[in-house]
Amino acid sequence: MASGFRLRFGENQTQVAVDNADEILDSPSRRTTRIRTKPKKYGDFLDHTPTKRRSYKDISSSEEDEVTDETAVQKPTALFSEDDVEGQDMFKFKSRHTKLDLQNKVKAAISNSPKPTDSPMKTPRKLAAFNSPLTKVSQATPKQVKDIIKKRIINEVASDSGESDFSGSSSDFVPEGSDHDESDSQSSPAASSDEEEEEQKPKKTVGKTGKNKETKTKVKDSEYFVTPDNYFMMNSSKKIATSDHTLARLKNLNVNENDLDDIEISVEHKKSINELNQTYTQLFNKWLHVLSENFNIILYGVGSKRSVLQQFQKQKLNDFPCIVVNGFFPSLTIKNILETIIIDLLENSHIPSNVGDVVNLIDTQLTENGMDLFLIVHNIDGPMLRNSKAQSMLASISQIKNVHTIATIDHINAPLLWDHTKLSRFKFTWWDVTTFVPYSEETSYENSLMTHRSGALELSSLKSVYQSLTSNAKGIFKIIIEYQLENQKQHYQGLPFKDLYSKCREQFLVSSDLALRAQLTEFLDHKLVKMKRTYDGSENLVIPIDNVLMQQFLDQQTS
Amino acid sequence: MESTVSVSKGVFLFTNGFKKGKVNKKKSGKVLFEKIFLKELWYETYKQNWNYIENELQELHQKTYSLLLNDIVNYIKNHGISESATLEGIIPSATLLTGVSQPDHVSQFASLIDIIRNEVTPHVALVNSQDAPSVKHLVENAVWQLIHGQQITDYDGESEGIITQTKKLKKNQCTMKTLKNWYQSMSPMKKKSTTTKQILVVIFPDFESFNCNVLQDFVMIVSSYVSTMPIVFVFGVATSVSALHKSFPYHVSSKLLIKVFHSHASPVYMNQVLEDIFLTHTSPFHLSGKAFELLTDVFLFYDFSVTGLIQSIKYCMMDHFYGDNLKSLCCDRDKLEEVIMELSADDLESLRQLMSFRPFLEQQDCVTKISLFNDDNFFRDALYKKMNRLHDYLYSFYMCLRLLCVFVKDLPKNMLGKSVREIYTKCALECVTDTPAFKDCMQLLKFQSQMKLVESIKSALKIVNSYLQAVSPVRPLLSSPTKNNINNIVINDDLGDNFVKSLKVHLLTFLRQIEHANTDTTVSTHDSLETENADENVPGNRYKLKEKLLKATRVDRVQSEFEMVRSRFVSYLEDAFSKGLQPAHAQTFHEVLFFSDVSNVRKHIVGSPRGAVHTALSNPVHYLQCSCCQLPSSDSVIDTLPDVCLAYKLHRECGKHINLYDWLQAFAAVLRPEEDDEQRHQDPNIQLRFTRAVAELQFLGFIKSSKRKTDHVMRLTW
Repeated sequence: MASGFRLRFGENQTQVAVDNADEILDSPSRRTTRIRTKPKKYGDFLDHTPTKRRSYKDISSSEEDEVTDETAVQKPTALFSEDDVEGQDMFKFKSRHTKLDLQNKVKAAISNSPKPTDSPMKTPRKLAAFNSPLTKVSQATPKQVKDIIKKRIINEVASDSGESDFSGSSSDFVPEGSDHDESDSQSSPAASSDEEEEEQKPKKTVGKTGKNKETKTKVKDSEYFVTPDNYFMMNSSKKIATSDHTLARLKNLNVNENDLDDIEISVEHKKSINELNQTYTQLFNKWLHVLSENFNIILYGVGSKRSVLQQFQKQKLNDFPCIVVNGFFPSLTIKNILETIIIDLLENSHIPSNVGDVVNLIDTQLTENGMDLFLIVHNIDGPMLRNSKAQSMLASISQIKNVHTIATIDHINAPLLWDHTKLSRFKFTWWDVTTFVPYSEETSYENSLMTHRSGALELSSLKSVYQSLTSNAKGIFKIIIEYQLENQKQHYQGLPFKDLYSKCREQFLVSSDLALRAQLTEFLDHKLVKMKRTYDGSENLVIPIDNVLMQQFLDQQTS
Repeated sequence: MESTVSVSKGVFLFTNGFKKGKVNKKKSGKVLFEKIFLKELWYETYKQNWNYIENELQELHQKTYSLLLNDIVNYIKNHGISESATLEGIIPSATLLTGVSQPDHVSQFASLIDIIRNEVTPHVALVNSQDAPSVKHLVENAVWQLIHGQQITDYDGESEGIITQTKKLKKNQCTMKTLKNWYQSMSPMKKKSTTTKQILVVIFPDFESFNCNVLQDFVMIVSSYVSTMPIVFVFGVATSVSALHKSFPYHVSSKLLIKVFHSHASPVYMNQVLEDIFLTHTSPFHLSGKAFELLTDVFLFYDFSVTGLIQSIKYCMMDHFYGDNLKSLCCDRDKLEEVIMELSADDLESLRQLMSFRPFLEQQDCVTKISLFNDDNFFRDALYKKMNRLHDYLYSFYMCLRLLCVFVKDLPKNMLGKSVREIYTKCALECVTDTPAFKDCMQLLKFQSQMKLVESIKSALKIVNSYLQAVSPVRPLLSSPTKNNINNIVINDDLGDNFVKSLKVHLLTFLRQIEHANTDTTVSTHDSLETENADENVPGNRYKLKEKLLKATRVDRVQSEFEMVRSRFVSYLEDAFSKGLQPAHAQTFHEVLFFSDVSNVRKHIVGSPRGAVHTALSNPVHYLQCSCCQLPSSDSVIDTLPDVCLAYKLHRECGKHINLYDWLQAFAAVLRPEEDDEQRHQDPNIQLRFTRAVAELQFLGFIKSSKRKTDHVMRLTW
């Protein structure tokens, strides 16, 4: 019996892993075993000794076969339903992305929307299409898109130098609103069908926008086949085939992050976001019930869930000790959480080193005091909690009867954090709380890509350090910056120490070599300046900051 | 509340008046938490029902584990004393192969410890792998538990007791030496009462997660002490015995005397739990076919854990009862009347709106209809009758289910399944007697041998008898408020007790008939003819053979007595099953007892975070319900979309690397198609929006920054 069980499990494991796609390929081999076992089973059946075989050390081969036979047929029936999101939508490999995809997308989007340059006759029709998109847009858009695409193909063929042609010019994104007039968009259907075939090959995405409508319903129930070739195609070339544009082309690089709040959200969206969030407040009582039955709660979905949880805390948890953990806090440690529970709340003097002891301690002290502790973890998938030690600690704590955990996740791979054991300890119930509220707090810590690049952070830190310097030190720093800006080249070696010394002496900034070194340590400690040693033993000074930024800094100082 | 944002702190404490050691809080705290629900009728019923199920589970648990655990305990008893004395330095150890569903093991080991404490020795230590990162920790933990094991049982788990113990050792004082001294100091005084020495048991529930070297060292250390005190190990191994051999080299494994015990496979345990607790008429709460399927699927395809299954069922139960006073009708039959009287007019009104009430209503004549709607008391009477009938139905349904299982489980091909739960899913979804699978099964039954059939009937009779013993007789309405015109309601009472009794009588007669039936067939007239044919049948003459076979089919076979009885029996079975195995959703008021809101619960049990994120980003209308973002297809892009969605859609068009500048331009072009190219991406507003959208996508894990090219990000999805 026991071994039969293991075998069965193996079967299931593979089944889960391969998914249904493999089933078809696999079945012949399984079928053969099935046929073979049949006579055996008839034999068993005549012997009718099923009760005897139950005793669990007697493993007959026929039983094993029976088990495999049975599991080969099994398929989950209730796990999946029609309203599931199709895996194909999320995980499909795209066959070879081209630079044009993005542009085409934009084109399609723009041609959808009403344009001022369009003739007045056309605009209302399109607006109507907007209101009932299912019927009209699918007819109206492809034609226009096709026209644009057709032009593009012609262009491409003519220019013949596929990639470089488009990468350099920023005119790719011109919506070409004036280009196609009424006659273009009303071309005969016969011609458009011709074009359709023609353009299928070079651009798949464009075909999609028009075609998806009809194919979608048909494709729906077809099985998802993994096409690994696409993956390798995508990753085969080491070269990054994107254009060489950099953000330096933008003029106002440093946008002030602080006025992020007044970003416009349309009135309608504001209203519907509010309504959406209102609906979640109705769940609060149910959550409380779920928590009281020793389940824990996990919230997922796009949008910051902090406000929802804060409301929950304010409305329902006023009489209970709560601990709020900001999982997105960049220097959070699991020890912080334990300290808050054990030292701050339970007033112990130290934290035991073992997981088991910690859990026992919390458990006994909470039951002694007859108190329920609520642990609210914003982003249990936060960067500092993404290790198995932290998660197993949290799981063990959540397992305690008097601790109730409410956690949120945002990262798409967050569920990978938990294995079987941890999940069973957490006893999560999953709640879709999509709020569409911007992640303002969550992303405020992490250097968002753009801000990081635009260097607002570096600049401000540079400024604050600079302001605390003595005037002599400021002078020294300026000299290094100016030298670096003057000698911009590919491999900037840095300002030799000797040169710096002589320059400083000229301006009466320092009087001795030693004094300069003392000043420099200040910079080195703040990492404003890096010291590089060259082969001949001289020391070169480099500021590890982008030149553009330095120029900006200098401008601000002088102005 | 904004105090939870800080640049120097990630954890915030809100004590909300909680102070350690405040005794008066002890009472009020607990009450506060439950007070919210306590006054509700449904909550009480839910609590009662869940407690009942929990008790049942506990019992079943003891029953299933007892056999195996007793084996282990016996082994510990015997080996702890006898063999360790003869074999120098060898530790007897029991290896329990537990299977991979580790969450279930906790309870298994807990009951093992209980049994050992009660029967063998109070000195048991259970050391988890997480508590033993090094030998020092392992020894401390084990020794501490061994020494204090006595006290834990004395005080019955009360932690205060341990703390007040004066001779309590500190953890860091616990070494093997202290253990030895303690043991020697303890044994002389024990010797007066018991002749045998006390055994020390150390349990490692999750062998695979231990650090090998730590365990090896521990084994070597202990083996040098075994001569002075009898120590027995219990290893819980999830995979196979070879794990033990792999992690212990020869010089270590030679110190162990390993005996292997197999525990139950978890599907077996699951079947037991389901059959004995949930698929019975005594269970206060029933799962509809779909819900049941979902839960078993989660078990078979996701976690393989019975604890998880029970938790899921608990969740379903919570969902079933939550906020609905009608569900207080899910109670014992005896209390039904009480509960019905307690229901308010509103509750009755919502009962009238149940879907299953309608067919029942349509059967009634006009006067009854009106009084059903207007007269609450009349309705209560009808409700009581109907609920009783529903219980009768459950009673006969589950019995028929088991009978069907007895007859069908050994049939070839397992068309209906082998276990009760598999057959239940089929029966609960539709009227099983109409399905081709059922008809095939009955066909196959018609070919069954006499012996086999007799055996099946005997075991079926056993089931029927056990059901007859368990039944609580249907009492008439005791203090019905309005006895008048209750007879108007048509209730065809053909289920329940009477049904089972008649079934028993029929089965008994069939059993007698089949046992005594003659199996000889009288086909002698054709014998001579066939032998002739066989003689002249030259090998190779295929045509003739075909002719012969055709002829054989045409010959009217005279049925033997047994065959006749058998076919009568099978048709009787068909009749009985078609009566007893009506699906639940055809019953009036089935919503009260059966839980069927699968789709809702599925979301909460399984959860699909990735799917939700994808839907929200590619089709925000699904959540926002706004009129501006209707998309012709999930791939299309329009400018009214929320910024994140727009950025997400554009990023899906890119390859592995995304140029931020191009991305921004595309973003700007969608938002401001009318503006000049140069102007629009210089607009700080757009830049801001884009920046935040990108930051949020990064936060969601779709992209990360890349060092390979300036101003590029890497896509993390395909």
